Amino acid sequence: MSKKEHDVSRRQFLNYTLMGVGGFMAAGIMSPLVRFAVDPLLKGKEGAKMVPVMDVKDITNEPQNKKFTVKKVDGWHKFDEQQIAYIFKKKNGDILALSPICTHLGCTVAWNDDPSHPNQFHCPCHGGRYTKTGINIPGTPPPAPLGVYKTQVKDGKLYLGEVISRGGS
Amino acid sequence: MLQRIYDWVDERLDITPLWRDVADHEVPEHVNPAYHFSAFVYCFGGLTFFTIVIQILSGMFLTMYYVPDINNAWDSVYYLQNQVAYGVIVRGMHHWGASVTIVMVFLHTLRVFFTGAYKKPRELNWIVGVLLFFVILGLGFTGYLLPWDMKALFATKVGLQIAASFPFIGDWIKLLLQGSDIVGAQTLARFFAIHVFFLPAALMGLLAAHFLMIRRQGISGPL
Amino acid sequence: MHRGKGMKFVGDSRVPAKQAKFIPPKDYSEYPGKTEAFLPNFLLKEWMVGAVFLVGFLILTISDPSPLEKEADPTSSGYIPLPDWYFLFLYQLLKYPYASGEYKVIGTVLIPAIAALALLLAPWLDRGFERRPIKRPIATLIMLLTFVAMVYLTWESTVSHNWEQAEQQGKIVQTVDFDKSDPGYKIFSQNCAKCHGDNLEGSSLAPALVGKGLDPATVKTMATKGGGQMPSGIFKGSDKDLDALAKFVSDVSKK
Repeated sequence: MSKKEHDVSRRQFLNYTLMGVGGFMAAGIMSPLVRFAVDPLLKGKEGAKMVPVMDVKDITNEPQNKKFTVKKVDGWHKFDEQQIAYIFKKKNGDILALSPICTHLGCTVAWNDDPSHPNQFHCPCHGGRYTKTGINIPGTPPPAPLGVYKTQVKDGKLYLGEVISRGGS
Repeated sequence: MLQRIYDWVDERLDITPLWRDVADHEVPEHVNPAYHFSAFVYCFGGLTFFTIVIQILSGMFLTMYYVPDINNAWDSVYYLQNQVAYGVIVRGMHHWGASVTIVMVFLHTLRVFFTGAYKKPRELNWIVGVLLFFVILGLGFTGYLLPWDMKALFATKVGLQIAASFPFIGDWIKLLLQGSDIVGAQTLARFFAIHVFFLPAALMGLLAAHFLMIRRQGISGPL
Repeated sequence: MHRGKGMKFVGDSRVPAKQAKFIPPKDYSEYPGKTEAFLPNFLLKEWMVGAVFLVGFLILTISDPSPLEKEADPTSSGYIPLPDWYFLFLYQLLKYPYASGEYKVIGTVLIPAIAALALLLAPWLDRGFERRPIKRPIATLIMLLTFVAMVYLTWESTVSHNWEQAEQQGKIVQTVDFDKSDPGYKIFSQNCAKCHGDNLEGSSLAPALVGKGLDPATVKTMATKGGGQMPSGIFKGSDKDLDALAKFVSDVSKK
């Protein structure tokens, strides 16, 4: 008698089989659907193509505002996106291309347009300021330095790629 | 834990009789394929419902990528089929599922007809069933246009021409379905709305009525 | 049902005072034999059928990608549309003389409406108490004849359809960039574009040239002497033009 109580009853067995078959059908239907839906998460990110922006010989020590277009593909939608970079030579001669997107809330910063703070990047939205190399000045809203473009010099031309964030604190 | 949550809800809403009625009702021997192999003909109704569930699920997921707009519809379908993982399967489930649903509805209708199950007292359920059949054909017709490929456009033109030949109100029906004097942007938007909202709503209401009536009247007896 | 009895009011909501014992539904005593409970016994059998069906269905979706033709082009002419297979019988019906032209309404409205109404009103058209198909021959015969007619019409429509042309007319074409100022393109558009398309993409009249990888010599022979569906003597011009044309078509077809 006591042994029988530990056995799986016929009803329990049927219920387990039912759950098994039901689970199989649910998995069969849902797995392609779910994989289809989460595809954006699993799609590898394609690095931006390097785009020629200007001649290296024209780069000065003063940041220059350069507009350039990048071909973007958003699913079935292909479009040209206009991007802006502030390009200049650092003291050691390295080329630095800064993204003017303020790290505070995404406004566009401008170079040297605030008379009270010369030679700084200034954000018109909330008064954020950055040094010439794009480091955020303590006491202003931005939490992180400006992003920098990946740069490459080829045949006397400066090529820009994706923006690399310089972290934040 | 689950048991306690269930008891808590049951104490307040008294849900046990609802599902026990479905769970414990006795199924007669003559529809059980385990006893008579020929009883598999009674499976067609259940399989129709199963394919409809597949259609609803795959359709819901397809709208994550599809856009009902003549400039983007074809591109979005091409993208979801060729660029998105499992896109071939998901679109295939919906495309082939439509055909399989029609086959299953057809077989189910023939089974009910040839077993005379539509006779008194089940006339009303037969009517609901035939309406379901028409709704499903309507879903097939409106869904055909949505990928906005050559076949979709020209087959829909013919279909609307047929609607236009209806005496007296034909042109009016055609304009109502087409939304404009050509098969174009407005037709696609309309067919999308009909395919995704109006007909599925009708389908679910009719299905609920169909099942309630089956539960109320039971399965017709053996021949 | 409680019907208000044995309910105690809590606030303004009704809650049963005592958990009524569940009484299972009546069994099918009218059908003696091996009846069984819906859950889990019968549902398990249904789900097994469902699982087998699902496996077959998923194999179908994987082995046969659903078709997609090229993007709709309302300006295209000569496209012969074909409805989905379940409307083919109606499509075929409309080809017959008594269901087209001035009698079109017979095929488009009258016959389908009669069929739909008859189906809808079947319980009142066939009012006898007999349920066996053999004991109600008229209803059975009408249904069988309708079924045979639909199968026949569907079959007829597929036999008379030109499937090769259908496949060709809807094909997704690869577009390639080429120089439209090429001297060969001017000759092409004068001689060949009418059938092979402005972008060499083909049409319902002639196949695409893009992606064919043609030799200049082949192009020359086809243009002057024809071949396959193409009649001879289509090209009209000098030998120099022919050389330019052959070079142009061959280059683009290899892209």
